[in-house]
Order: sequence, then C-alpha cells, then structure tokens
Amino acid sequence: MTISQILFIVMSLVVLGGGVMVVTARNLFHAALFLILSFFGVVGLYLLLDAGFFAAAQFLVYIGAISILIIFAVMLTRGVQLAQPANSQWPAALVISVIVFVIMAIMLGPIAITIGQRQFGDVSWPNVTAGQPAPAVADDSLVRLGQSFVDFNQYGAAFLLTAVLILVAMVGAIWVARDRTLKDVMEERAELAAEEAQEAMLAGLVQQPLPLGEAQSAESPAVPAAHH
Amino acid sequence: MLNGIPLYWFLLISAALFCIGLYGALARKNAIAILMGVELMLNAVNINLLAFWRYIAPNSAGGLAFAAFIFVIAAAEAAIGLALMISVYRNTQSVDPDKLDSLKL
Repeated sequence: MTISQILFIVMSLVVLGGGVMVVTARNLFHAALFLILSFFGVVGLYLLLDAGFFAAAQFLVYIGAISILIIFAVMLTRGVQLAQPANSQWPAALVISVIVFVIMAIMLGPIAITIGQRQFGDVSWPNVTAGQPAPAVADDSLVRLGQSFVDFNQYGAAFLLTAVLILVAMVGAIWVARDRTLKDVMEERAELAAEEAQEAMLAGLVQQPLPLGEAQSAESPAVPAAHH
Repeated sequence: MLNGIPLYWFLLISAALFCIGLYGALARKNAIAILMGVELMLNAVNINLLAFWRYIAPNSAGGLAFAAFIFVIAAAEAAIGLALMISVYRNTQSVDPDKLDSLKL
C-alpha cells in the first residue's frame, strides 16, 4: 500500500465521518464544527489530486467564510438548535439516500454487472488505463485557467456572469436580512391597504355618477390623483 | 501524488458524500442543517469535477474552470440561504421548515 493510498483513506474517513456527524448531530453547533472537519478532509483530497489552488480556495472560501457564516446563523437562531434533529420522514430519506448511493456505486464502481442486455460498472473512461498512473499535470495549468477566464472564446462570458451572480447575491442577502420585524411588515401592509381603499373609493366616485363617455374622459385627470 | 489510487476511489467517495448530504437535506428538522447538507453535496460535486480533470484531461482548463464556478455558486447560495433563514427566524422565531407553510392553501 502506497503512502498516497493511506493518505487517501485517512482523508476519506475524515470527510465521510465528518459528513455523517453533520447530518446526525443533535446540537447544531457541533454539526457546524463537524462540517469544518469534513471541509478539511476535502482540502486533503484536493491536494492528493494536485489541485493546490483549489485546496487553498477551499480553505479560504469554505473553512474561512462559509463555515463562519453558518456558525453566525446558528448563533443568531439560538434556542432552536437543540430541537429534535430529524423530521418525521427520516426513514424514507435514509432509504432514498442509500438507494441513490447503491445506484451510483454500481454505475461508477470497478465491478462489471450485467443487467438484462446492458453492462454497468467498470466504465472505460478516456485516457484512463487501469494500473497506469494518471498523466502529469502541466506546469502552467493555473495560467491556462486564468487565460480561459478572460478569453471570450472559452469561459469569459461565464466568468462575467458569475461576477453578476455574486453581486446580485450580495445585494439580495443584505436586502433579505435587513432589520425588518413583523411589526414593520404589518404597518406597511396596513398603509398599502389604506391606499388601495382610498384608490377604490376615488375610482368609485369618478365612475358611478358619470355616463360612460364622460367617465372615460374624466379618467385621465383622476389617475394621477389616485396615486397620492 | 496519485500512486496506486484509481479514479473510482474518488468517484465512490464523492458519491457517498453526496448521499450523506442528500440525507441531511431531506431529513433534518432545521433549515440551517439543510443548508449544511447542501454544502456537503456541492463539495462532493467539486471532488468529482477535480478528479475527472486530474485523470482524464489534466491539460485542459475546463475541469478547473467548472470547479471554480461551483465555488462561486456555493458561496452565493450560502449567503442567500443564511440571510433567508435569519429573516425567517426574525419573523417567526423558528427555523423549522415544516412550520413555514403560510403559502399553503
């Protein structure tokens, strides 16, 4: 067994063990901490895959930013975190997850299984031969990644769109989470309802006493007044 | 770094992580825990993308670019989702998705 294999198994145990604890921990704060542990395992897997940039990005984005966001959310919604961890449909959810995993394992695993006419498993991926090491990564792979982001024949447009997505998400998150209580909402609704009632009253006043032809000519001055 | 690790090891690990996240998203009684499940699923997707990049096309930037896009989407999703949960908690004092049924008839 090579060192890489041992490292892979250790990292996989960290990832999967952390993941299982995330979905089963009673205390939501503990679940958030196990989520960080699972992210650390994923960092190790990225390093094994020679994706150093993504290991660093995972470290900064997931462990540094997203888990802090999640911990903040857990702290801000205190008092509900010790509730019952699973809802009433958890056995069905477990069965569905296991079935999905079994299907994916059959499709992706190393054992060829023939069901009816079709063969599943032991897929022959292009450029992958069993027992042979994967080809080396080009030294300038990060340079190529950066160039593909600014080249409009590759991912330039998608890169700009993700910038727009980030901007929209930022503005949206600020708007959604702004300090606005139920009382404010009710007051706003009451104001709106009062305005609508006033408009309806004005429209009724204009339309009822006048004949049809005059009502249409009288509508145009009445509309801007109704907005106030 | 990949001495003796076949591609399907990565695929099976990421499938298992995806299904753990799926169970979390389906079965948890707390909306923030559901978001954690979704994060696990996004991580599984990213492991898959980078594994395929490494084994099948290590000379193209495509796999790395898609993994980077998934990172961006995950960050945006976490920000929006947690902002929603905080807003919901402010208005209802609860983050139980079973109780958020005011749109039901």
